[in-house]
Amino acid sequence: MPLPVISGVGFITSIGNSRPSVLRSLRELRHGIEPFEFFGNPNLQVKVAGTIKGFSFPTPNWRDWNWPDEFTVDRELLRGLAPHGVYALCALQQALDDAGLAASDLTSSDTGLFCASAGSPFLLANCLNQLRETRGERASPMGVVSSIAGTLNFNLAAHFQITGAVCGFVSACSSSSHALGYAMDEIRLGRQRRMLVVGAEDMTAESIMPFSCMRVLSTNPDPAKASRPFDVGRDGFVGTGGAVALIVEDAGLARSRGARVYADLVGWGQAGDGHSVAISHPQGAGLSEAMRRALADAGVASGEIEYVNAHATSTPGGDRSEALALHSVFTSAGARPRVSSTKALTGHGLSLAGAMEAGFCALAIAEGFTPGAAHLEQPDPVCDGLDLPRASLDEAPRFILNNSSGFGGSNVCHVLRRPN
Amino acid sequence: MEPTASTGETPHRTDKPEDRIRHFPAPVRDAFARFQAGGDAAALEPVVFAILEDFIPKTPAQPLAAVPLTSRLIDDLGFDSIAITEVVFFTEDLFGIRISNEEILKVQTLEDLLGFIREKVAARPGC
Repeated sequence: MPLPVISGVGFITSIGNSRPSVLRSLRELRHGIEPFEFFGNPNLQVKVAGTIKGFSFPTPNWRDWNWPDEFTVDRELLRGLAPHGVYALCALQQALDDAGLAASDLTSSDTGLFCASAGSPFLLANCLNQLRETRGERASPMGVVSSIAGTLNFNLAAHFQITGAVCGFVSACSSSSHALGYAMDEIRLGRQRRMLVVGAEDMTAESIMPFSCMRVLSTNPDPAKASRPFDVGRDGFVGTGGAVALIVEDAGLARSRGARVYADLVGWGQAGDGHSVAISHPQGAGLSEAMRRALADAGVASGEIEYVNAHATSTPGGDRSEALALHSVFTSAGARPRVSSTKALTGHGLSLAGAMEAGFCALAIAEGFTPGAAHLEQPDPVCDGLDLPRASLDEAPRFILNNSSGFGGSNVCHVLRRPN
Repeated sequence: MEPTASTGETPHRTDKPEDRIRHFPAPVRDAFARFQAGGDAAALEPVVFAILEDFIPKTPAQPLAAVPLTSRLIDDLGFDSIAITEVVFFTEDLFGIRISNEEILKVQTLEDLLGFIREKVAARPGC
């Protein structure tokens, strides 16, 4: 069976817009969270966000948008893009450069594209407002393709002339983990030799503030403490956006090109909670099962996992469920991997989170370090027995487990291995 | 009961025409103001060129004012049906005119478009 590997990474995240800047943030535990005023309303209780530096989208009109000079965004493409499409294009440009691939290498039917985003509530609201204002007679011709879930794959597939498998995944905060898992399967089943995996989200009030209505956002105004997964004082997640692109290839193809292999993707698993539309199973039942399935798929024992990148978003209930799930899979088997949630640094990227954290895991393996548990002062007692390092460690994990959970109890886990 | 069918009128917009061209160069905004005031028919051309340059899919090698008026929108200048739809919507809203699909399909070149918009604007009520 072909082995899928990660051979290129690209990051537009709150903790950096390049591989070196993200690497530094992860090693030094520098967070990307800043004060942020949503809807221009200083009275809102939510005061911070994981901002994406160097980009601005002040209006729905692309003529008002800005991005760093080092990235190229064609105007022909721009008219159909959401803000997170701009992030995604910039991340994918980086990942392709990193993998040593040109756009002309992507047009064979051996290359596919799997994407994940929730669409752009910012542009969808604008389109619908135009329609309401004109009683259905006027809206941008690009209103649909720039805003609905799927906008990423529509735009990127057309722009890069992808003729292999093209699909978008929608499972909330496990969306891009699904995209990566199914991309692994495309390679393993021999259907594709190369997959582009892109997760992205807008960083706008329209994407983030609806979560405030569920009372799941932190109201802590301190950027250095608002996102603190597993801490007893956690009070909700900090929203972020951005994009991460991963180049996933058949190991043989990557090596024949002389590409750098960051990590082998040796297994994945998924399982549902069967419990609630929005609340994690109280014992983390689905996540436990997803971890076990991923380990079984990889043929790896729980004791061999040296680092777990937890999904933990800094919500009281979700982090507790995950801690219990980790005890079920690891502590009860006498295993004690390092555990951290890098969302302490980035905030929670929603659909983007799984691919972002898989990218971080790939960096950890390739660069030889283990990300620490930032902002953790007093661990929740439910974490007793888990190894939550307070600083990043110069330890290169051989096997990593990357966890994601989404609404409806959709849990996805990947196992990454250091290449031989 | 409110009518639900299209009235054939330009859809109501709450923003003003000058707001819609706020990102155009100042000389173009001045030309639009002169044209709207009714005193300068020649001022239409730079406004239409600015609209086209705003929606053209690929940035043109030279300003549209410098290319032959016989240039074809699709075959020579790289417009596609989406960009032409955007130009039609924008032009309708800016000048308060109505352009049907059948009419715009007959427009092939820059001079076709300029002539067409001139006729439409001249036929506006009150002009």
